[in-house]
Amino acid sequence: MEVKQFFGGLDVPHYKSFSEHKPIKAAPLPEEIVIPLSQHLGAPNEPLVKVGDKVKAGQKIGATDKFVSAPVHASLSGTVTAIEPRIPGQPVDCIVIAVDKEQEEIELADNDVENASKEEIISAIKEAGIVGMGGATFPTSVKLSPPPDKKVDALLLNGCECEPYLTCDHRLMLEKPAELLQGTKLIMKVLDVENAYICIEGNKDDAIEAIRELNDDPRIVLLRMPTKYPQGSEKHLVKAALDREVPSGGLPMDVGTMIQNVGTAVAIYEAVRYNKPLIERVVAVTGQNVQDPQNLMVKIGTPLSVLIEECGGIIEEPAKVIVGGPMTGKAQQTLDVPVMKGTTGVIVLPPDMAIAEMEYNDCVRCCKCVEHCPVLLYPNQISIYCEAGMIKEAMEWNTLDCIECGICSYVCPSKRPITLLVQRTKPLIRNMMSAK
Amino acid sequence: MNDTRKFVISSPPHLKSRDTVSNAMRDVFIALMPVTLVSIYFFRYYAALTIAVCLITAVLTELLFKKLMHKKPQINDWSALLTGLFVALLFQATTPWYKAALATFIAVGIAKELAGGLGWNRFNPALFGRIALIMLAPVYAYVNQWFQPLTIHLGSLDTITQATPLAMLRAGLAMPSVSELFFAFPAGALAEVSPFALILGAAYLFYKGHIGWRIPVSILATMIVLTLITGENPIYHLVTGGIIIGAFFMATDWVTSPMTDKGKIIYGVAIGALIVIFRVGFMITEGVAFAILIMNAFVPMIERATSRPQFGKAKAVAVPMAEKK
Repeated sequence: MEVKQFFGGLDVPHYKSFSEHKPIKAAPLPEEIVIPLSQHLGAPNEPLVKVGDKVKAGQKIGATDKFVSAPVHASLSGTVTAIEPRIPGQPVDCIVIAVDKEQEEIELADNDVENASKEEIISAIKEAGIVGMGGATFPTSVKLSPPPDKKVDALLLNGCECEPYLTCDHRLMLEKPAELLQGTKLIMKVLDVENAYICIEGNKDDAIEAIRELNDDPRIVLLRMPTKYPQGSEKHLVKAALDREVPSGGLPMDVGTMIQNVGTAVAIYEAVRYNKPLIERVVAVTGQNVQDPQNLMVKIGTPLSVLIEECGGIIEEPAKVIVGGPMTGKAQQTLDVPVMKGTTGVIVLPPDMAIAEMEYNDCVRCCKCVEHCPVLLYPNQISIYCEAGMIKEAMEWNTLDCIECGICSYVCPSKRPITLLVQRTKPLIRNMMSAK
Repeated sequence: MNDTRKFVISSPPHLKSRDTVSNAMRDVFIALMPVTLVSIYFFRYYAALTIAVCLITAVLTELLFKKLMHKKPQINDWSALLTGLFVALLFQATTPWYKAALATFIAVGIAKELAGGLGWNRFNPALFGRIALIMLAPVYAYVNQWFQPLTIHLGSLDTITQATPLAMLRAGLAMPSVSELFFAFPAGALAEVSPFALILGAAYLFYKGHIGWRIPVSILATMIVLTLITGENPIYHLVTGGIIIGAFFMATDWVTSPMTDKGKIIYGVAIGALIVIFRVGFMITEGVAFAILIMNAFVPMIERATSRPQFGKAKAVAVPMAEKK
C-alpha cells in the first residue's frame, strides 16, 4: 500500500543510536514512589487510601466516578507516608509510598482473550487505568467509546516515534510484537473495524520485521512510514497513511479513523489477559549526557533520579533533563519528579546542547518556518502578532490550528521562540472568542 | 532526595538548528565575492575604493542610527555590510565616492533602520538608496559643487570610459559577443561585469537553501517571453544591465519578497513584465531597480491574496467506506 507524504515537516536529527539497540531491562526498586493522583486528561481522581495505610502492588489507590477519567494504582507494595503536591509547578496531589524491601509478584489472572466481549474489554481497560501512552494521556476507555454518529472504519496503531532520541516504542514493538498484535485485535473488536494499520517509521525496520513475522491476520496491515517529524502527529499520520485530512478543529474520528499508541495496545492486551493494571511502562533514559543509556521497564511513580543513577548518572553539568521528546517535552528543574503513565523518555542533554531561553531577533521573513510548518500556517506572521499581543490578528492567521510541534522554533535563524509565543497566546484567543 | 543540582530549563523545542541570520547574510556576502573580484580585476582601485567607501559608510550609518534610536548595534549580523556591498555593486566604478557614500547612508539609515531595522523594511535598502540618488538628481546637481573638491583622483583607466552594453544595444552599435557579455565584459555598474560570476554565487545560495527558484525563474521566463513578443533578442537582455543581480540577489531578498509560494511567482512575473516595459517601452535606465522597488510595495497585497489554507481546510473531507451491511 502506498504511503503519502504530508506537506511540510522536517528531517530532524534522529539521535536514536544511544538506546535503540538496548533491550528493555527492569529498573531497580526505588525506596519511595510518588504517584500523582491524576495522570490523565479529564476529571481528577480522589484518593482511596490515607496516610499510614499499607498498600499492595496493583491496588487501586485513586479513582473518581466521572466518565472522562482513569484510576491510578500502587505500582509497588509499601506504606502511604504522605498525600501532598510533589511536582514543581503542578498542584496535583501525589500519593507517596515508602516501598517495602520485600516485594511479592502481583497476582495475574489468565483470561480468555479470544472470546472477550466488547464490554469486558472496555471495562478491563477502564479498571486498569490505561491512558494514551504516547504522552497524550487521554483515558483510553473514553477514546474507545466514540459517539454513535462517528463511524470509525480504520484503526491506526502509532509506532512512528518521530521525536528524536526516544526508543521506548521501538523496543516495545521489537520485544513484544505478539502482545501488540493481540492488543490491536482487541481494539479492532471494540471499535468493530475490519482494517488496522500499524504505522512505523522507516528507521525502525527491525521492529517492522518482528511484527511482520508474527502477523497472520490479513486485516492488519503494516505501513512503513517516511521518517519525518512530526509523522506521529495524529492528523499527519491519518494524512500519510490513509490520505484523509482531519478538518481544522476536528478529530481523527471525523474522518472515520482512530489512532492508538503501540504501547497503549500492549497495555490493553495485558489488562484484558491478566487483569494487569497500568503500573509500569518502558522509559528510554538517553541522551549524550548520560553514562549508559537504557530502555527501562519502570514502575509508575519512580523518581527520575533512580533511573538516571541506574544509567550511570549525568556525565557533565550543567545539563538539561527533558521528560518526553526534545521537540515537545518539558525541561525539568529537579530529578525528584516521578515517572507517570505518559512518560516516554528522560533525555539528558550535555552543556553545549543545554540551551536556556535564548536572545532572539526580529523576523527576517526567511520563511523557513512557512516551508516546514506541517499545518500550513504562517508561523512568521503569527509570531509577530503574538509578540505584539495582537490577539485578533493571531486568531485570523489560524493560531489555534497550531499543533505546537516546535519545527518553527527549531528552524528559525532569528531564534524566535515561536512555539512558546503561540502557547501563551492560544488561551488569550480562546478567552476572546468565548467573550463574544 | 536533597538534590541541589541546577538544571538548565527552557520551553520546547530543546533542539535548535544551527542556522542563524548572520550565517545566511555572510553566505550572501560570499556569493557576491566572484562578481566583486571580477569588477576589481577590471576597474582596479576605482572599484576597490567604491566598495570600501560603501562598506565603511554602511557600518557607520548603522552604528549612528542604532545609537539615535537607542537600540543595540547588530553589526555582526552582516546585514549592514551586505547592504553596503550591494550599493557599491550598483554603481559604476567612476562614480564619485561621496555619491556612493550618500546612497549607502540612505540605504542603511533611511530604508532600513528608520523602517524599524532588519526585517521591517518594506523596500530593498540597496535599491532604495540607488534610486533615491536618481530621484534626488536635481538636488544633487545643486550640492554637487560642495562635494567636488573631495574628489579623489585615481588616474585614468581605459575600461572605464566604455559605454554600457545596454546603451550600445539601444544606440544600435556593434555589440560584444554574448559569451563575452556573459563571462566578463568591463562596462556598466560593478555588478554588470560578469553575469556568470553572479550565477555562480546564486548557485551557492541555492545550494545553501537561502534562495528558491520561484522568483528568479518567473522573472527570467517572463522577460524571455515578453522580449520575444516585442521582437527583441532576449539573450542580450538577459546578459546586460542588472537583470541577473536583480533576479537572483535583489528580488529574492527575504525581507522584501512575498512569503507565499504563489505570491513569489506573481511577484516575479510582475517584475519581469515591468522590466521589459521600462526597457523596451520607455528606454529608461535602472529599469530593474524600479521594477523591484515597485513590486516591493505590492508584497503585502500579494501575500493577502495568495495565502494558503491551513491543514484541514484545503478541501472538502470525504469519509470513504459506506456503512457495513
